[in-house]
Amino acid sequence: MRLFDWRSLVVSSMVIGALAAKAETRPQYGGVLHVAMRAAPASLDPADLGPTNFVPADNAQPDSFARRSLTTLMFDTLVTTDESGRVQPWLAVSWQASPGNQRWQFRIRRGVKFHDGTPLSAEIAAASLRAANPSWNVSADSDSVVIERANTDPALLAELALARNAIVKKNPDGTPSGTGPFHFTGWQPGKMLILAADENCWRGRPFLDGIEIEMGKSFRDQMTALELGKADMVEVAPEQAHRISQEGRRLATSAPMELLALLFTREAASPEEKLLREALALAVERGSIRNVLLQGTGQPAASILPNWMSGYGFVFSTDADLPRARHAREQVHTVPAWTIGYDGSDPVARLLAERIALNAKDAGLSLQPTSAGSADLRLVRIPLASPDPWIALADVATLAGKPTGKAGGAVEDLYASEVALLATQRIVPLFHLPVSYAASVTLNNWTLRSDGNWTLADAWLGNGKP
Amino acid sequence: MRGAVYNLAIPNTIPSSVNRVSRSPLSPRFAVQLSFALLALAMAARATDWSGPEQQLARKIVAVTGPGAVALTVENRSSLGKRDSEIIQNGLRSALEGLGIRFVNAEQAAATVSISLSENPSSYVWVAEIRQGAGEVAVVMVSAPRPAGSTTTHESVPLSLRKISLWTQQDPILDIAVLEENTTPTRIAVLDAENISLYRLQAGKWQQEQALGIVHARPWPRDLRGRLIPAKDHLLDAYLPGVMCRSSAGAPLTLNCRETDDPWPLVPAGLSGGSFSVFPSAGSSAAAIPPAGAFFAPTRNFFTGALTPGTSKFTTVSKFYSAAMLPREKYLLWIFASTDGRVHMVDGMNDQVAKLGWGSDLTSVKTTCGAGWQVLATSSGDQAGDSVRAYEFPDRDPVAVSAAVDFQGGAIITALWAEAKGDTAIAMVRNRETGSYEAFRLAVACSQ
Repeated sequence: MRLFDWRSLVVSSMVIGALAAKAETRPQYGGVLHVAMRAAPASLDPADLGPTNFVPADNAQPDSFARRSLTTLMFDTLVTTDESGRVQPWLAVSWQASPGNQRWQFRIRRGVKFHDGTPLSAEIAAASLRAANPSWNVSADSDSVVIERANTDPALLAELALARNAIVKKNPDGTPSGTGPFHFTGWQPGKMLILAADENCWRGRPFLDGIEIEMGKSFRDQMTALELGKADMVEVAPEQAHRISQEGRRLATSAPMELLALLFTREAASPEEKLLREALALAVERGSIRNVLLQGTGQPAASILPNWMSGYGFVFSTDADLPRARHAREQVHTVPAWTIGYDGSDPVARLLAERIALNAKDAGLSLQPTSAGSADLRLVRIPLASPDPWIALADVATLAGKPTGKAGGAVEDLYASEVALLATQRIVPLFHLPVSYAASVTLNNWTLRSDGNWTLADAWLGNGKP
Repeated sequence: MRGAVYNLAIPNTIPSSVNRVSRSPLSPRFAVQLSFALLALAMAARATDWSGPEQQLARKIVAVTGPGAVALTVENRSSLGKRDSEIIQNGLRSALEGLGIRFVNAEQAAATVSISLSENPSSYVWVAEIRQGAGEVAVVMVSAPRPAGSTTTHESVPLSLRKISLWTQQDPILDIAVLEENTTPTRIAVLDAENISLYRLQAGKWQQEQALGIVHARPWPRDLRGRLIPAKDHLLDAYLPGVMCRSSAGAPLTLNCRETDDPWPLVPAGLSGGSFSVFPSAGSSAAAIPPAGAFFAPTRNFFTGALTPGTSKFTTVSKFYSAAMLPREKYLLWIFASTDGRVHMVDGMNDQVAKLGWGSDLTSVKTTCGAGWQVLATSSGDQAGDSVRAYEFPDRDPVAVSAAVDFQGGAIITALWAEAKGDTAIAMVRNRETGSYEAFRLAVACSQ
């Protein structure tokens, strides 16, 4: 197996990020930033993010990197993580954990106000976390939020830093209000979001006057908008990233944070069906698919967690093994014809599904691609929830209907959890893909974090000339 | 409740690493010897004890294979250097031998063990894949914390601009005022977003004397800026957007902050005819330059352009981030780094605009070198980070008179202000490698 140095990607990302972050002049105020994105969320409520809300058949993509980034423009979490993954104070200024990490107390920052002027309180923060996590025991105690978990939870801080745990105050009309640097002034679900700078943001008014986000745009339309100067920042399809960087455009790329996988819609009903699923996993020629269809982007994957996140991903072989696949297939007498679903709006998804069907045929399996809603298995893009491997694995496990219920521990325990999840044959990892964005030369000081989320709170628009 | 895992940062008391430049000339031979000695020391200091994870992994391997003949391969897939990788490989071999393993060729082996030295963001992860006969591959692994590494770079600047480390902390530094010094600073005030912290050098270590909280009603703007100005009749004043704070005169110090749009001083007090008790040598010999100030936008990161007093016919200039002055024989030339990225040179009669490719922070220092005044200007370098360079203005075109000085860790310069005496400047930077903020005194040296 070829040794892949993921650091090259991160370095590339950091360099681009650094170029974006470095300013010849101090940040300038003013201007409206135009962003285009493929996701088309129907709701702004951060609690709608998360594995239980991931509906692969839904093109709205309830959870995506763009969606998470969008959330952080309007809402804040109790804590945040820096680029090194270290937890930092945010709406909470300090915290304490009882022995065993079951009871956590977070002291709320004073002087923070929601966009409607309501002061942030422990009661509102507790209510928000309860709504997002019904199984948690969350209460307010004076100026603190107390979270009690049934089991020890060393990953709670990383969990609280996720966008889906942002603090939200529900207005009487049902609209969410946050404490982030921007508040929304226009909202057409799934189509358009218009944000304006919050003059009284506790972290200071953002440099931009506003942001206009067009949603539901195909990758091609986004790139056209960038080329015509109608957008300042757009998403880039993984298979287009290489070409766009060669064209000399400003491109930022994250670490591989997205899992492209086959997800069976139900559990294997018998040992024979498990053998057939194993045969399919062994038949896929990940290497050549990457080189041709993905244009060299991403990494073949046989593990759920990318190697850079776990440190052991290379143990899972990604090489196709047709003899073994055929051997597994031949142990089963009756082979059903499966349908493989894909997202019809994803230009490369159909090609991938067709190529996987060809590989399956070589192993004696029958796989029929379909863009219809129901299928036996689906080709899915799963944005890994966090650089914290335990949280990322737990989210994928929940998505596969196999919650792990465990977080934190030794790397060997993580490996055992991942092996157990893969052994269910519910999910077949194919690739780990980075997230890429292209930006106009006028956009300064924006950052694409290695976890695939972008931050625009400190971004500003210049004239684009050196 | 116990087991606190995090609390608000306590102001750092990291000792300043003052750059002690030897004044005695070194012979080349001694310099080479010294370099080798330092290199050896550095290598020794970087050596890490890997014996714990080596023993741990060896035990896990032997728990699978049992004692006997094993074929072993070790591959480094991590950021570990070749030297560390070899040390670990030898350590693993020794640990395995100690547990009864004999190393043989693959053909003679009862088991093959492939060890990969890998890593994730927080740890080194060492994975052993063990194959015995035609059975399944067994995988065992251990992890070891990754130490925070740092690289040291040093640029030998032939002349002119020297940087001297003053202070490091995790929170952004807005300004630093040196309140007392002998040959090196012995008492400093550090301005950040919430406090003015006073530190005194005692027995080689900086000890915090007092932290004075800054009271402000409104949230600070992003890209917060601020100035600390030592005063004659009290200790110091602090200027922040929309807020001015004045300390009391004697101990225990108090700080009185009020919302105001009072102008920020542009001319170091040491050059404007005043002299400070803490700097008896400063000011008295300096040609007096009239005090001048500029209004700072209370919710932004720039000066509004309104000057007080004005400079001849100009009472207002373009909005600017920073200003430097250059006294001429009959007039004072002001150089403004405007918010539009251009440099405005205002002499009282003309406002000449130039695009010099400078950054937005500049200041001037009065020295005994060259033309007597130099402008220190920032510029955005390549990926190595921002830098500062000294310029002189024989006429209206700047001439670089020093090499560009950059900072460790691909640093980004966040502020550059002249010190009270006017002959040195302080650069505040953010170290992108460590994420910490550092302050350096910049001094122009005359000799090569």
